[in-house]
Amino acid sequence: MPAMAEPMPVQPPYRQAEQRRHADLLGMWLFLASEGMLFGGVFLALAVYRLILPQAMKAASAHLDLWAGGANTAVLLTSSLTMALAVRAAQAGKRSEALAELAATAVLGVAFEAIKLHSWWSEYLQGLLPGHGPPFPLAEPGARMFFHLYFVATGLHALHLAVGITVVTVLTGALALRPQTTPRDARAVEVTALYWHLVDIVWIFLYPVLYLIAR
Amino acid sequence: MPNRLTMVLVWGALLALLAATIGVSQLRLGLWNPVLNLSIAAIKTLLVAWLYMDLRTAPPVARLFGLGLILWLTIMFGLGIPDWLTR
Repeated sequence: MPAMAEPMPVQPPYRQAEQRRHADLLGMWLFLASEGMLFGGVFLALAVYRLILPQAMKAASAHLDLWAGGANTAVLLTSSLTMALAVRAAQAGKRSEALAELAATAVLGVAFEAIKLHSWWSEYLQGLLPGHGPPFPLAEPGARMFFHLYFVATGLHALHLAVGITVVTVLTGALALRPQTTPRDARAVEVTALYWHLVDIVWIFLYPVLYLIAR
Repeated sequence: MPNRLTMVLVWGALLALLAATIGVSQLRLGLWNPVLNLSIAAIKTLLVAWLYMDLRTAPPVARLFGLGLILWLTIMFGLGIPDWLTR
């Protein structure tokens, strides 16, 4: 539990600081559940096409760079570690540690996006973006559908991560401008972290479902 | 929140699971490929949700929302997949 010197002013309808924190956590979890359903639809589409057009999906997946995707998974898992450590530091009132860990989280998020942009670009050059650029190289009729789903799924995920990077960067800036972290700041870090971890979990499933189905 | 050492150990476990999932994907195991890869993803998710998102000490209603997501996804996949398999 957060242990801090400064007492937190609680305004109605809240009676205690902890109640306020629970309300914040609950609001974020409700949002995360709706996000889970949004991505769930994408995963269901991928599962259905994997079942009805298995050969085309496998052939198309073989054109993805397994190692770029794996490196991105490692980057995102590491960012979840730094984010979780930042929550711990903010709750303990360790301001400089929390700032460093938040900044590291944002930098790792940017690294993920950079690797992803590079992958998209090389896929575009190979003609794998359906309807644009060089001619599509695969003959299987379902292969185009795989790449439609791939670009929608990874694009939606990258957009969510971009939102996460923005929030973490703004939060880091706001905390850096204050002389010390308050319980309110610790709550902001905690709630932001929940969103960050969800974006990580979405990638944890996207990686095997998109990159690792070739065999 | 769990202590720092636990968090770093969880990170190590997550990276080991990533290596395992890449390793599994290089073998031809038929139906076991998706089963193992999705199981590894589920274990990673449990580690992240339970320890990094701290569901371990979260308010019970927040945990209920997490379970609610699993329930709705189960309904969506439970009705969506058989629909296509039985056409």
